[in-house]
Amino acid sequence: MMFLAPGFFFASLVVAAAVVALHFIVTRQPRAGVLPTARFVPNLPANATARATRPSDLLLMLLRVLVVLAAGAALAKPIVKPSRSAEARVILMDVSRSVSDSSALRDSVRGLYRNHDAVVMFDSSARVVAGNAVDSIRTAGFTRVRGNLSAALVAAMRAGSSLRDRADSIELVIVSPFAAEELDEATDSVRSLWKGRARLVNVRGSADSLRGSTALEITTTANDPLQITALKSRDLPGATGMIVRSGLVDPANASDRALIQWPAAERPRFAVERSVRDTIGGVIAGDALVVAAFERRWSYPEDSIRGSEVVARWIDGQPAALETATATGCVRSVAVPVAPVGDLVIRRDFVRFVAALAGDCASRTAMRTADAQAVARLAGSGGLASRDAFRPRGDIRSDLAPWLLGIAIAAAIAELFVRRRKTADATALKEGNVPEKRAA
Amino acid sequence: MARWKDGRESRAARFEEPDYAALLDSVRGIRWPARSAVRGGIPGAHTSRMRGSSAEFTEYRPYRQGDDLRRIDWKLFARSDRAYIRLSNDRAILPTTIVLDASASMAFPLPSLGKWSLAAQAAIGLAAVARNSADPVGLVIARASEIVQIPPRTRQSVINEMVRAISETNPSGDHPITPAIDAAARMSGRIVLITDFLGDSEDLLASASRAVVAGKEIHALHVLAPEEIDPPRETVLVSDPERTDIRRPLTPEARDSYLAAFSAWRERTAHDWSESGVLYSVAIVGDEAPDHLVRRIAAPRGVAATA
Repeated sequence: MMFLAPGFFFASLVVAAAVVALHFIVTRQPRAGVLPTARFVPNLPANATARATRPSDLLLMLLRVLVVLAAGAALAKPIVKPSRSAEARVILMDVSRSVSDSSALRDSVRGLYRNHDAVVMFDSSARVVAGNAVDSIRTAGFTRVRGNLSAALVAAMRAGSSLRDRADSIELVIVSPFAAEELDEATDSVRSLWKGRARLVNVRGSADSLRGSTALEITTTANDPLQITALKSRDLPGATGMIVRSGLVDPANASDRALIQWPAAERPRFAVERSVRDTIGGVIAGDALVVAAFERRWSYPEDSIRGSEVVARWIDGQPAALETATATGCVRSVAVPVAPVGDLVIRRDFVRFVAALAGDCASRTAMRTADAQAVARLAGSGGLASRDAFRPRGDIRSDLAPWLLGIAIAAAIAELFVRRRKTADATALKEGNVPEKRAA
Repeated sequence: MARWKDGRESRAARFEEPDYAALLDSVRGIRWPARSAVRGGIPGAHTSRMRGSSAEFTEYRPYRQGDDLRRIDWKLFARSDRAYIRLSNDRAILPTTIVLDASASMAFPLPSLGKWSLAAQAAIGLAAVARNSADPVGLVIARASEIVQIPPRTRQSVINEMVRAISETNPSGDHPITPAIDAAARMSGRIVLITDFLGDSEDLLASASRAVVAGKEIHALHVLAPEEIDPPRETVLVSDPERTDIRRPLTPEARDSYLAAFSAWRERTAHDWSESGVLYSVAIVGDEAPDHLVRRIAAPRGVAATA
């Protein structure tokens, strides 16, 4: 047993001692007696302070001491000190869209997990599984959002802090397909905070089923200015989609590439016509920003956004292009008008914008495996992280604290009743002309 | 230090009647001469202010016209050829009344009633001594309901009457005793006032002073309890049995003030009463045997000591 904030408990000990001391110093009306020469006694108040050899209101004193000690102990957050083992694991379990074989990943994690290990499930965010993680591992739900190893590593540091009292060394185990999209620029620096090597368990990801990419294609009329842009975008990496400028788009044709419906004049898929057309000064897709005047005719209602992913936005935040996943690929609906005049279509930023719109589907992006060097940096080197590498946690919950607080409240209520009864008894005794009265 | 008695305990259960028979035995033979020459009257044991023709010769005085010729000492006339009258002292009785204070303050300490017991024994003892001198003795008890009076008498049964009257008295109340001493002064030449002076002491002193001026022999016996002189050191809420409004805590801190005030009051009382010509004595419960107290009071002083 140890206290997270022992100062409160020591303070309550001092207060309890003071309470006990006060119970030995009582103000009472002393025993009565007859003295014919009482007139020569100085006329002082009839109550006198006296030191008692033992407190007469023992129950009241015990209740008060219990209130103080229980409240102090509750504030001091007592925890049961766990026994320390040689090694514990923090297992990072990838539940993002990068995982194609979820059962294989579950089996891997279940095989690695030992009692009292910490499990961190992560996709775009990370959460430490509290309590018995076996059930959580078995029932883990896999999401369609991008994984983020940086967030997972930060959570791992937190989990390591919670394990520092249970183990001398802590091993970091990452069970993931290690997709490229899961690593970002902060990953290396966050990884360096973990002072030890990590064991990487690579499960089969969607990337394993990736096939070779095709070049950007466009289906349009002869004098469509976007043809020029599409041609220039072919040279940019990742532009593999198919732009359809006129006619209906059959999602079945999406295959495993992005099918981009970008009508020249018709209504884009899911879009509705604006009641009032306006002009906006820019649009952004991925890292590609285009600053130009666009006349907005179409807008995407909220219902259409639901179930889709916004791949381009106007600079006021409204969606400019949506992506809807299909069985094999995705269909994108683009509501960005392309003016037949001007140099927009040959501007470099617009070319990059088109390439970004014609990029891989989100599901395909998730399939791409991170490069070997990044994965090697993630694995790190050296031994296991020592427990001293982790700061003690300040947010450890004390399971005993609520109970102690409840005991304190119950004792306080009991003290109130006992005190009231005692006061009533004292009043009755006084009316019965019994001289001694306890008034502490 | 005196032990404190519980005031709620039954007084009757613990109070024991004094052994008057033993006291009367022990004071037998004690004489109580008057402090000064008494008025003439019925012949008795005390020197009278009257000079007469008793057998106890005192002096000669030259014959003056009008003297009784039978009182001329003829033998001296024959030897000296001068006529002298032979003078002698007269003896007279001294009626004595005991005034006993039966206020509530005398019923202390409870339950032994030490003050009342000592006062009663002193009263009976002094009455017996006075009776031994063939003086008429009477008793006045100032008690709550009435003033009990036994007029001075010389008959043997008067002591028994006094014992009975005292035994029937239960000290209580806060009545004045000045009327009692006034009544005694009308009946007696010697008054013994037995009290604790916690009642109407100023009126009492004035009345006693008047009696002294009138030629009465006044004895004042101040009865004290050890618990009053040296109260307990524990904290006690003390109350005055005669004045219910006085209820004060006697704490160790207040004790010194109490002792100083009470001592000063005793000294002032002794001084005032002695200054007024009263023969003032102090009797402390348990300090001396009642017969010793009686001997001390009756011991010859003043004129009687030289007679």
